[in-house]
Amino acid sequence: MTAVIESSLNVTDSSLYLDGIPHDRFAALRAQPGIAWHPYGDDDSAGFWAVTRHSDVKEVSKNAEMFSSALGHTNLWDLEADALEARRSLIDTDAPDHTRLRRLISSVFTPKNIRRWGELTRSVVSDVLDDFEASEGGDWVDLVAAPLPIRVILAILGVPVEDADYLVELSNYLVEGTGGEQSLAPDAFGNTTELRLLPFNSPASHAMFEYGARLADLRRAEPQDDMVTMLVQAEADGEKLSASEFRNLFHLLIFAGNETTRTALSHGAVVFADHPEQLLRLRDDRSLLDTATDEVLRWATPILHMRRTATADTELAGTAISAGQKVVMWYASANRDDTVFDDPFRFDIGRGGGNQFSFGGGGPHFCLGAFLARLEISALFDEMASRGLGLQQRGEIVRCPSNFVHGILSVDMEPVR
Amino acid sequence: MSTQSSERVVLLVDTDRCIGSGMCEMLEEAIFLIDEDTNIAGVLGDGSLPSERAAVVIDRCPASAISVL
Repeated sequence: MTAVIESSLNVTDSSLYLDGIPHDRFAALRAQPGIAWHPYGDDDSAGFWAVTRHSDVKEVSKNAEMFSSALGHTNLWDLEADALEARRSLIDTDAPDHTRLRRLISSVFTPKNIRRWGELTRSVVSDVLDDFEASEGGDWVDLVAAPLPIRVILAILGVPVEDADYLVELSNYLVEGTGGEQSLAPDAFGNTTELRLLPFNSPASHAMFEYGARLADLRRAEPQDDMVTMLVQAEADGEKLSASEFRNLFHLLIFAGNETTRTALSHGAVVFADHPEQLLRLRDDRSLLDTATDEVLRWATPILHMRRTATADTELAGTAISAGQKVVMWYASANRDDTVFDDPFRFDIGRGGGNQFSFGGGGPHFCLGAFLARLEISALFDEMASRGLGLQQRGEIVRCPSNFVHGILSVDMEPVR
Repeated sequence: MSTQSSERVVLLVDTDRCIGSGMCEMLEEAIFLIDEDTNIAGVLGDGSLPSERAAVVIDRCPASAISVL
């Protein structure tokens, strides 16, 4: 029996997200028995199963054999076969391709190896907070949340720091491709590729590919101790990484390496400004840093959902799902599930439990950069606590009109002591 | 309950499934190590853990690659 959701519980209309996550709608969906069918687009078959409870998200996420990432697309809409192939990255693959690609770079991102970036991260944190304080505040995104993660991921990749602004600009255009109007002309950055073949349908993806290809040429000629060198050496091996895989992986690392953590750092700032007592609590007890990081992540939920596609007829929470149907995991909902999080709308840095789903619900697609993101988030709020630096919000939050990224475009903050 | 929780179990890594996330190495560094060449987790020593700690590492492994022998 299919329960089709009422239009008042629609959660895909991008304009809803201008006021934040529609939590009341997700709460209503979680309370319904089984899994609800959410219409999408003009055609009945384009709809999806809206998975909103924590336990169901976990089940889908962990069962990658049943719920594929390689079929259709990992966003709500299907891509044509040639577009899917052209755009395929680590995110849109299943085993064994996924395992092969992931293992090429996984060593860079293990907790043990991420520790070597601690010193650099703390020095970037110190620089951006100095800038923020020196200018007596301003746009938190521009001054702190954007530059911190991009500078760290660029150092890991081996991208010259003077190109950071250009890559942030490209990332901002990519975000437009997730919901709002595209402001770029199709031939921007000299693009000649059909937009449907480019990630986020954006000509900025072409620019990112071109940039990655130029850097790869430089590293082929003169290898360095960096990740792009590691990737071109794997590419040279032929079997391991194709040219298309390289450019999509480079694109993914730049985009995911800055956009998502930027979002977490922005929501973290907003929620600490709203709850200065939680920042004081962290200042007094730095052993809370780990659980505070988890709580900022839970609060932020930088990626609102990911989609899978059923590979066979199956059942989830008593609802029959047919092979080929879309199954969408709403992390935004799972992170406020009151069967897992007591009083889920309370921000509590001591909450703990390690069960927030901002890195996904488990399974092989668990966020590659999870431990790097944790390092960046904890380093920032640790340093703020050390400085006794608090925040006061001066202006409205300008949000991204997207049902996919929980982005904050700008928010004016003032340093307070 | 208390007799069960003191039991030790031996853990195995499914090397086809492992994605090298390093989660196991972080949680239980005495018995898991990511190989630097293959980026695949291996088990050190006798690979045994108290069953309740084993349950945590089995659950947290993103690739569901860890199981009890």
